[in-house]
Amino acid sequence: MDWKKLQNIDRRIIYILLILATAVPMIRPLAIPLSTGPSVHKFYQIMDAIPAGEKVLFSLDYAPSGAPDVHPQALAVMKHMMNKGVGVVFISFWEAGPMFGEQLIRAYEEQGYEYGVHFANLGYVPGGESAIKRFGEDVAGQVSRDFRNNPVSSLPIMQGIKDTRDFAAVICFSAGNPGVQEWVRQVQGPLGINLLAGAVTVSVPQYMPYVDAGQVKAMLAGLRGAAEYETVSGNPGPSVAKMDAQSLGHLIIIAFIIVGNIAFFMDKKKQ
Amino acid sequence: MRREIPLVITFVVGMIVLLARIFTAADGGEFILAKWAGELTDWVIIVSAFAVGLASVNLFRIHGDIVARKRPGWINSLTLLAAIVVFAVIGIAARFGAGPFFSELNQNLYDSIISPLGAAMFAILAFYIASAAYRAFRMRNLEASVMLFAAILVMLGRAPVGELIWNQFPSIANWLVDIPNTVGQRAIMIGAAIGGFATSLRILLGIERGHLGGVE
Repeated sequence: MDWKKLQNIDRRIIYILLILATAVPMIRPLAIPLSTGPSVHKFYQIMDAIPAGEKVLFSLDYAPSGAPDVHPQALAVMKHMMNKGVGVVFISFWEAGPMFGEQLIRAYEEQGYEYGVHFANLGYVPGGESAIKRFGEDVAGQVSRDFRNNPVSSLPIMQGIKDTRDFAAVICFSAGNPGVQEWVRQVQGPLGINLLAGAVTVSVPQYMPYVDAGQVKAMLAGLRGAAEYETVSGNPGPSVAKMDAQSLGHLIIIAFIIVGNIAFFMDKKKQ
Repeated sequence: MRREIPLVITFVVGMIVLLARIFTAADGGEFILAKWAGELTDWVIIVSAFAVGLASVNLFRIHGDIVARKRPGWINSLTLLAAIVVFAVIGIAARFGAGPFFSELNQNLYDSIISPLGAAMFAILAFYIASAAYRAFRMRNLEASVMLFAAILVMLGRAPVGELIWNQFPSIANWLVDIPNTVGQRAIMIGAAIGGFATSLRILLGIERGHLGGVE
C-alpha cells in the first residue's frame, strides 16, 4: 500500500466529501438526537423568569461572516421573548448589526407586533469599547434617534430606560471584538448588569473565564447553543436541522485525521 | 514643543480617565472627574465616527486613482466605488425616511447580497480547516498527540453524532473546555492585563512614545 499517497490525499477529494457531508443533511435532515447542556438550561431559566412587560437589550455584535453561528441564537431568544411578552431593544457596536436587528423585527411586524412597543432598533454606535462604556451608563444620552430615524424618547419601549441597569437582561451576541469582553470590562463590572452572552463557537473558550466567574451569567455556544435553546424552549427550528450537517462535517474531518495518522505510522514503520 | 504637548495631553487625559474610575464623590453624587472622563470618552466616539468618513475618502482617493489611470484590476476598483455609492445613497435615503421603498431596498440588498457573500467567505474556511487538520494533525510527539486527542474529543462532544457514538463525549468535551481551557485562558488574560497596564503606565509617563509617530 502506498502510505505516502494516503498522507497526501488531493484536497479536492476532501472538499467534495465535506460538501456532501454538509449539504445532504440540509436537504434531508437525519434527525440526530440533541441533548441540552446545563449552560443553555441556565440561560433559558434566566430568560424565562423575566416577567411580561419587562425589557431586554440585545447587543448584536456580529457581521454576516459570523451570522450563521450567532444569528440563530438571537432568533431563538427573540422568539422566546416575543412569546412571553417581553420587549426587546437592539443596539450594535458592529456596523452590520442593525441590519440583523431589522431581520429579527420584520418577521414579527408581519405578525402584528408593533415597532416601538414590542421592540426597537437603536442602530449602530461607532467607537468600540468606548461606545459600549458610554452607552452602558447613559443609553438615552448616546442614542437620540433610532435606526428608523424616530426620536428614541418617543418610543414607548424606551420609557423609563436611563442606563443598561434598567433592562432585565443584556445579551451580547458576539462574533469578536468589540463584544462580550468589552461589555464585561466596561459595563458589567462597574454597573453590575445582568449580562448573558451568545458567542460564535471559536470564541467560546476565550469567554469561559467570564462565565466561570459569574460575570456572564450564562452563554449560548455557537449554532449548537441556538439548537439547544430551541429544544429547551420547545420550539425546535432550523438550528436543530443544521446540527446534522455539523455532525457529519465533524465526522469527515475526524475520519481524515485518523486516515492521515494511520498512514503516517505505517509509513514510519515501513522505513 | 512637538513632543511635549502630546505628552502632556496624553498624561492629563489618561490620568482623568484613570482617577475617575478610582475615586468617587464624598457625597455619593457625580464626581467631577467622572463627568470629564465621560466627556473625553464621547470624544473617542466622535473621532471613531470621523474615522469611518476618512476611510471612505481614502478608498475613493486610492481606487479613484486606479480607475483614472486604468491600472491593472481597475474594473474591480470601479465595482468597489460603484457599490459604495449605491449602498451609501440607498442606506442614507432609508435612514432618513425617504419612504418604505428605500427601506425595503436597503434591507433586501443587504439580505440578498452582503449577507450571503459574507457567510460564504466564512464558510470557505471550513474547507481549509478540514484540509489543514488532515495534513497538520499528526502524532509526531507527546504535545501534538495531546492536542490531537483534545481536538477530536471536543469535536465529538460538541456534535450530536458524538453523543450517539458514546454518551460520555459531551461530558469529556465540557470538562476540557471548562477546566483546562479556562485555567489557561485565565492565565493568558491576567498576563495580558498586567502587560497592558505596564504599557499604559509607560505611555502615560511618557516613557513609551511610539504613539507620537516616531517624533523624537
